Amino acid sequence: MTEELLIKNAVVYDPINGVRGERKDICIRDGKIVASVRNPKVIDAGGRVVMPGGVDVHAHIAGGKVNSGRLMRPEDGRKGREPKTKVCRAQSGYSVPNTFTTGYRYAKMGYTFVMEPAMPPLLARHTHEELIDTPILDNAALPLIDNNWMTFDYVKSGDIDLLAAYIAWMIKATKGYGVKIVNPGGTEAWGWGKNCDLHDPVPTFDITPADIVKALALANEKFAMPHSIHVHTNMLGHPGNFETTLATLDLVKGIKSVKNRPVLHCTHTQFHSYGGTSWKDFESKANAIANYVNNNNHVSIDIGQIILGDTTTMTADGPMEYSLYQITGRKWTNCDVELETGSGITPFLYSGKVGVHTIQWTIGQELALLIKDPWKLALTTDHPNAGPFIGYPIVISTLMSKKRRDEIAKEVSPAIYDKSSLPSIDRELDFYEVAIITRGATAKILGLQEHGKGHLGLGADADIAIYDLSPEERDAGKIQRAFLNTKYTIKGGQVVVKDGEVVAAPAGKTFFVTPECDQKLMDEMLVNLKQKFENYYSVTYNNYAVQDVYLPHPYEIKAPMVA
Amino acid sequence: MQTITLRLKDAVMSGIAKVPVAVDALTPDKLVGKSVEQIKAVQVWWGNSQEKAGNLFEITVEGAAASANEVKLLFEGKLNRVKYIGSGMKAGEIEARGDVDMHCGAEMEGGRVVVKGNANCWAGREMRGGELVIEGDAADNLCAMYRGEMKGMTGGKVTVYGDTGECVAQYMAGGELLIKGNVDILCGLSMSGGKITIEGNATLPGADMIGGEIIVKGKMLEMMPSFKFIETATIDGAAYKKYLGDFAMGEKKAKGTIYVR
Repeated sequence: MTEELLIKNAVVYDPINGVRGERKDICIRDGKIVASVRNPKVIDAGGRVVMPGGVDVHAHIAGGKVNSGRLMRPEDGRKGREPKTKVCRAQSGYSVPNTFTTGYRYAKMGYTFVMEPAMPPLLARHTHEELIDTPILDNAALPLIDNNWMTFDYVKSGDIDLLAAYIAWMIKATKGYGVKIVNPGGTEAWGWGKNCDLHDPVPTFDITPADIVKALALANEKFAMPHSIHVHTNMLGHPGNFETTLATLDLVKGIKSVKNRPVLHCTHTQFHSYGGTSWKDFESKANAIANYVNNNNHVSIDIGQIILGDTTTMTADGPMEYSLYQITGRKWTNCDVELETGSGITPFLYSGKVGVHTIQWTIGQELALLIKDPWKLALTTDHPNAGPFIGYPIVISTLMSKKRRDEIAKEVSPAIYDKSSLPSIDRELDFYEVAIITRGATAKILGLQEHGKGHLGLGADADIAIYDLSPEERDAGKIQRAFLNTKYTIKGGQVVVKDGEVVAAPAGKTFFVTPECDQKLMDEMLVNLKQKFENYYSVTYNNYAVQDVYLPHPYEIKAPMVA
Repeated sequence: MQTITLRLKDAVMSGIAKVPVAVDALTPDKLVGKSVEQIKAVQVWWGNSQEKAGNLFEITVEGAAASANEVKLLFEGKLNRVKYIGSGMKAGEIEARGDVDMHCGAEMEGGRVVVKGNANCWAGREMRGGELVIEGDAADNLCAMYRGEMKGMTGGKVTVYGDTGECVAQYMAGGELLIKGNVDILCGLSMSGGKITIEGNATLPGADMIGGEIIVKGKMLEMMPSFKFIETATIDGAAYKKYLGDFAMGEKKAKGTIYVR
């Protein structure tokens, strides 16, 4: 049966197709955007702002770490509780909401795709199980491949082809989407109670984080991968780390991208843009990072904006979580994932009364406003590390309103005037730019625009957000409210949210990439890998790979090997 | 004065599974100014579904009230599966005639709750103000925080005439607690403020304490080894040994006081 839908009187912001606030109709048939319809159901958008469904490049929404966060924080589960309805399961949680809540809240904000950016390979099944239980959202997950002993061995031997075969195998085995790098070498060093800066040797392996990043960038470009390497650089959250960040970005400068995209995505860059030598002379170096991004085209970033308030921090960067725990003295947990990776979790309160937190808050804003080309930029809060994703509407409202930023500046620590350039920035984003940093650029960074995400061109998925906003609206409060609860969210041609209420909760698709590696190379790599399984893993090679049954709604992207 | 009597219907607890009723929607400040019919229509949770109060309770109203302070609620019937009595209440008075289930007086801000029987776990949890009187025993986590939170009771006064369970006043940060009977282990765990008076015996009170005071008038059955004797003090004419701790939290944080006979 054909299902047709017509959205009339939409003021469309579709940056990938260059549509900048044009009043038009959108035709939908069988979940896709089409040129015309015959006998459709009609939704009158009434001149409201309409955008493609939001695409999030980086939010920790599923997997072992997220679940540990839930277990560890029953007090977080007290927040946001809503009883079940005919459509929705029971909801709870703020920074670590349950999977159902995650799906509903994103859909209410007009988002239809989320990337889980840190899947420990050994816990890939757990991650996919949670993604199955995250309704509405299309999703994907990036396996952590950087603190892995196989990777280290090939980095040491300098064999990029075998490394490429290994990442191909790993991405296939975990049904992952690309290469995630978290504190390369540092998480392994944490096993020895140490951490690594970019050029420090990784204990017992005789390589440096710089070697790892460069080798993985090269290996990633051996395939037509939709996404570049996704990097959480070394020294996250340490004063003075902006130099490490700049040096990391510069490492991959000469590498040629096989697709029309950057070769490195620098994630939650706010946490990596710190100046000073200690927390006492801590200052924003967002301008230095923004300057680099403005002058180079081989990197993209997401901002990792702080949301002032309580949250749960969680990352594969174990040593960083320990440092944070040393500051707060609150509860902390740490995990080691065999020869692959690790993680840490601790709750954290970002307070506007604290100078350092205020500067952290400004850095995300500065990055978004100082980087001139929004196509290099993605809006994130590194959910839940810098704040929960439910804070996106707040971030959009401050980026769109100088007035709102000035109001906040008066309420927070006066350090904002000494250690940050934010008060002197007048730029305000418009709806078109907001659409870029929340769907257009994010879809392009992830290589999803070719697969019908992040735009409304013919043949694209009919994922659409209709916000209760006139295109002339400039009131920050109204903008914030509208971006929190859509008038309509349409997912694959089906209305899933109406007037801020979830009215349908269909399952989402899981996108995964199949890098197509040369068989001879793969066989050679497998000899080494099987040895690792025999010597070190607690599971066997044959039981490792995620079975198809873990992806009930799969969407495969093939990435052929590049000659 | 207005008296609202809510008698739990026998039929509600007649099943094999005693499905609990949660009555935080029934407090003087929420019911003031409502007619009997309106009170009967108030939605309360019964297990995982909502019911009209009038379907679960026989409700009668006597007199009239100008403000919540003039309203008194009487809960009658078999109340041992009735939860959240007086939870979140701001003013007025509640009397529960019988043993009550969990969370009685939780997050209370004002007014007075009297329980003419025993109270199950979490009574006075995260209480901020007002008064709670339990004429029988109180179970575990009296005046404590909810799991994971960093503050328990912060204000108000609680009196228990009987004994109490474990981890009473965990993370207490303010207010006053008087226990006339004995307390089980770990009373005042991680306490940071407020005052606990125990007229009976206590075991290992004050672990991880960083502030506030605990007075044990009965026997100290077992004392935390991480407290330091400071001096002798006099309370109500009796001599007490004053201890400081808990030094397990570090020298700087050991600001809690325990008085022992």
